[in-house]
Amino acid sequence: MTSVALRNLLARKARTLLTSLAVVLGVMMVSGTYILTDTIDQSFGNIFEQSNAGIDAVVSAKETVETDDNQESPFSADILDRVQGVEGVEAADGGIFDTQVSILDKDGEPIGGNGAPSFGASVVADRFDALSYPEGRKPAADDEVVIDKQTAGRAGYEVGDRVRVAGKEDATAYELVGVATLGDVDSFGGASIALFTLDEIRRVTRKEGEFDQISVAAAPGVSPEELTRRLDEALPASVEAQTGQEDTQAQKDDVGEFISILKTAMLIFSGVSLFVAAFLIFNTFSITVAQRTREFSMLRTIGASRRQLVRTVVFEAAAIGLLASVLGLLAGIGFAPAINALFHALEIDLPNEGSVVATRTIVLAFALGIGLTVLASLIPALRITRVPPVTGLREGAVLETPKSHRLRSALATGLTAIGAVSMLLGVFGALSPGELWIGVGAAAVFFGVALLSPRLVGPMAALVGRPLERFRGVSGRLARENAVRNPGRTASTAAALMIGLALVSFVAIFASGLSSSITAAFDKTVKADLILTNTDGFSDISAGVTGAVADVDGVEVASPTRFAQANTAGDEGGYLTLVDTDTVGSVMTLDWEEGDDAVLAGLGKTDAVIDEKWGREKGLSVGDDFKAETSSGKTLSYTVRGTFVDRADFNGDYVASDVTAAAYGEPNSLQQVLLSLEDGADTGAVRKDIDALVADRYPTVEPKDKGEFGDFISGEVNQLLGVVYALLALAVIVSLFGIVNTLALSIHERTRELGLIRAVGMSRRQVRRIIRYEAVITALIGAVLGSVLGVLFALIMSRPLADEGFALSIPVGTLIFLLILAIVAGVIAAIGPARRASRLDVLDALAYE
Amino acid sequence: MDSHLPEHIVTATDVHRHFGEGDAAVHALDGISVDFPRGCFTAIMGPSGSGKSTLMHVLAGLDRPTSGSVVVDGVEISDLDDKQLTELRRDKVGFVFQFFNLLPVLTAEENIRLPLSIAGRKADPELMAKLVDAVDLGDRLSHRPAELSGGQQQRVAVARALISQPAVVFADEPTGNLDSGTSEEVLALLRRAVDEFGQTVVMVTHDANAAAIADRVLVLVDGRIVRDAEAGSAERVHDLLKQDTVA
Repeated sequence: MTSVALRNLLARKARTLLTSLAVVLGVMMVSGTYILTDTIDQSFGNIFEQSNAGIDAVVSAKETVETDDNQESPFSADILDRVQGVEGVEAADGGIFDTQVSILDKDGEPIGGNGAPSFGASVVADRFDALSYPEGRKPAADDEVVIDKQTAGRAGYEVGDRVRVAGKEDATAYELVGVATLGDVDSFGGASIALFTLDEIRRVTRKEGEFDQISVAAAPGVSPEELTRRLDEALPASVEAQTGQEDTQAQKDDVGEFISILKTAMLIFSGVSLFVAAFLIFNTFSITVAQRTREFSMLRTIGASRRQLVRTVVFEAAAIGLLASVLGLLAGIGFAPAINALFHALEIDLPNEGSVVATRTIVLAFALGIGLTVLASLIPALRITRVPPVTGLREGAVLETPKSHRLRSALATGLTAIGAVSMLLGVFGALSPGELWIGVGAAAVFFGVALLSPRLVGPMAALVGRPLERFRGVSGRLARENAVRNPGRTASTAAALMIGLALVSFVAIFASGLSSSITAAFDKTVKADLILTNTDGFSDISAGVTGAVADVDGVEVASPTRFAQANTAGDEGGYLTLVDTDTVGSVMTLDWEEGDDAVLAGLGKTDAVIDEKWGREKGLSVGDDFKAETSSGKTLSYTVRGTFVDRADFNGDYVASDVTAAAYGEPNSLQQVLLSLEDGADTGAVRKDIDALVADRYPTVEPKDKGEFGDFISGEVNQLLGVVYALLALAVIVSLFGIVNTLALSIHERTRELGLIRAVGMSRRQVRRIIRYEAVITALIGAVLGSVLGVLFALIMSRPLADEGFALSIPVGTLIFLLILAIVAGVIAAIGPARRASRLDVLDALAYE
Repeated sequence: MDSHLPEHIVTATDVHRHFGEGDAAVHALDGISVDFPRGCFTAIMGPSGSGKSTLMHVLAGLDRPTSGSVVVDGVEISDLDDKQLTELRRDKVGFVFQFFNLLPVLTAEENIRLPLSIAGRKADPELMAKLVDAVDLGDRLSHRPAELSGGQQQRVAVARALISQPAVVFADEPTGNLDSGTSEEVLALLRRAVDEFGQTVVMVTHDANAAAIADRVLVLVDGRIVRDAEAGSAERVHDLLKQDTVA
């Protein structure tokens, strides 16, 4: 019986390949994700290991707050003396390693200015120096710099050129005296690095008399662990020692967190593709099993047991799954760089050297590919056991499953409802983890609607098909009738497309709602005429910017804003905003629940106004006290003076005065300067002056007016959307294979009919038209269901935001575009099958059995 | 159309049809020359493998002769391309097959109109009424084929073949799948088409009783015509066949 299964596959190579393609794409995404993230992991690991080579212990400030930028707080340079005094220390050297120093390109723009990390570092003693200098030498004077080879290449800098660098001080030009690589690793993982003398980097980063870290080498006979223990004993509690290995591991863990977020996101999209693929396999097997009813009943009459028949089908599935896994895995190796290119589009530059294909990846690819295919074939396989040996042999016997329709509908409705409820509960946090329940709920809704959809096929085909029928006569009519002939088949084919399009339209709707509510909230709270931020929108800018722009003619007020992180009332790394109380009143307001702008302007050192949502969570209201542990290790006490609504979460948990900025580790940096201009000031002229000022002194700063800032935000949202669409496109492509497959199988089934209509005078063109319209009808059913579900999902997912004014707007243009896309997709999917149908030889088709 | 109507609707001249090459070649038609006059009901008979179906396919433009000429309604069809053949089938030829004559997704009435729908034309209401009457389906016209009996389905197929008023109707074993009672209804309908509408009909059959209803019987053996005679009664048809096997 095994050989029967294999023969079947070989005899139907095209179908086997087509069926497996859907799985191939899914497996490709999963394995590609793992290969890429493993590769990135390993490449980062290499970088960190290289840079810690020769270092037995590292001393750094004790991290009390886990911040997003991973910038370690500097500590006093005196510590170095104490380190050198510890017994067992053979050598130690301190250095600066700052994450906010930008190298400028020849046009004066920061290189990789959209979020790629840019480091400024000091030259360290040779024995701790992980860098190699393939050209030139280390910087020896304060007006000299070395940059990494990759960045030099990208910007076209050569040794001897003048290179400008911007940190906390005014941008300064240096002579490029060399380029650096990290051991044998060429790439710093997309990051750029500038190397200065210790004095100069301290000036640039405003870390006079400080170090970010101290590298220590142990004397012979002293283990790194022993060294670390002795250092910890001798040093004050504000700093801590780690072995070189621990430090490397800690760095790996930091990027590991980020990579695992990427991985999870990618796997979700892969899961969608696999889910769609499963639908298709189920569909294909349902059709082929039905078509082979006679074959199976013949086998039954000659004594094959039911179990053997089931095994035949399952074995076929397993073989297809195996084929798909192999192809998928191979495709995944090729796909990993494609995903990386996608990250590039998101301006996430990550190092990836070679391809890491872990055993886990291989096992998973095969388990998913084979498991899913077999699972999806089980129901169709079990269905053949219901074939009585004789009936199947009768002319034209078709395996129909007139199951209890009422039961099916009840089940489908129930499943849809349970799915929707599960999503709602997940969204509101009644079930946790919310994301999981939302996902499970969405899957249940998809299944439910897919089960319900055979009933919708008739009316929807009528809706879509009637215009075709009117304008295209008998071709349109036949296409519509063919689409409804086997509603279950059309429905599950359409359902596969529905899933992809539902997610696309959900994302489109949700994002447009999000984007407009952010913009609305922004318009409501920001009164400034100009907003100055880093070019990437979030990195630090120098605290010096405030004073510099305040002096520009026509500027009435320049108000600095800091977005910091602290352990707020027990929340690790909670976000908060520090404002300048003297000026904040003229540039921003809050959506007050309790309090007013006077409260904001009157904030003292220990006063704060809090986000009412956070307040509810923490049980804080006006008059209550809370504590915040800052990154410098200090604990600040605040009294709540007011509460505000912050639907877009601009301001974090609370807003306080910036007199304590130093305590938060942010004395020299800030994230925004909000400007208001004098009444009657010439906006254009002021803007020109400010543009010139920042280009000259603070090139990492970009001024935007309110309109530009809104565009910037929606630009960021759209960029993310683009990536999401690209990933969902794969699921849509998978479902197109489904349409092709179903059409091909249906045509095969209808060979004689096609022969007949050709015999009575239908032209090839008309035949192609029938198939094409059939595909378009199927695709449109999928698109309409998908759009409706997308709207439904957006409604559900925006419920928690609704009472905070989330403006759900339905992007009609996008939805219409999706429908057109579905039509085009249907036409494309129909090309092959239509051609085949039109080329059938009339006589062969008529004689076909 | 033509001012001078040709006397013969279909003319085959020295038609050969070979399948395969060299020694393995099968000569399904081995030099057939025959005319089918207007308004005549011809039955083509012969044992299995005699080439009778192939002859019909070649005459109807469903298959191409290896050599020789076939003229249908004044048009030489052996060198038409697919598009022209399609139009020929649509406009000048009607078909009735043994099985699977109807599209299951269309109603009986829609199936009757199908050739006209394909051509984008309207049915002549008078003819439609006549055909509907002749098919005698009553209220089942709006039913789909699956809800009709085998005889009813074949009667619908005959009406479908007649609706476009083709030059010639080809019927390939139209009663091969029916019991004798329903066979007679179908044959009677074909007979009426010839008598009342002046339709030319060519029918392939191996059933002497069916052939008896025709005006003329051709008997094929091994790709050649061995008898060409008036049909008369079923007995006479049997005799025609017997003579042939004896010879």
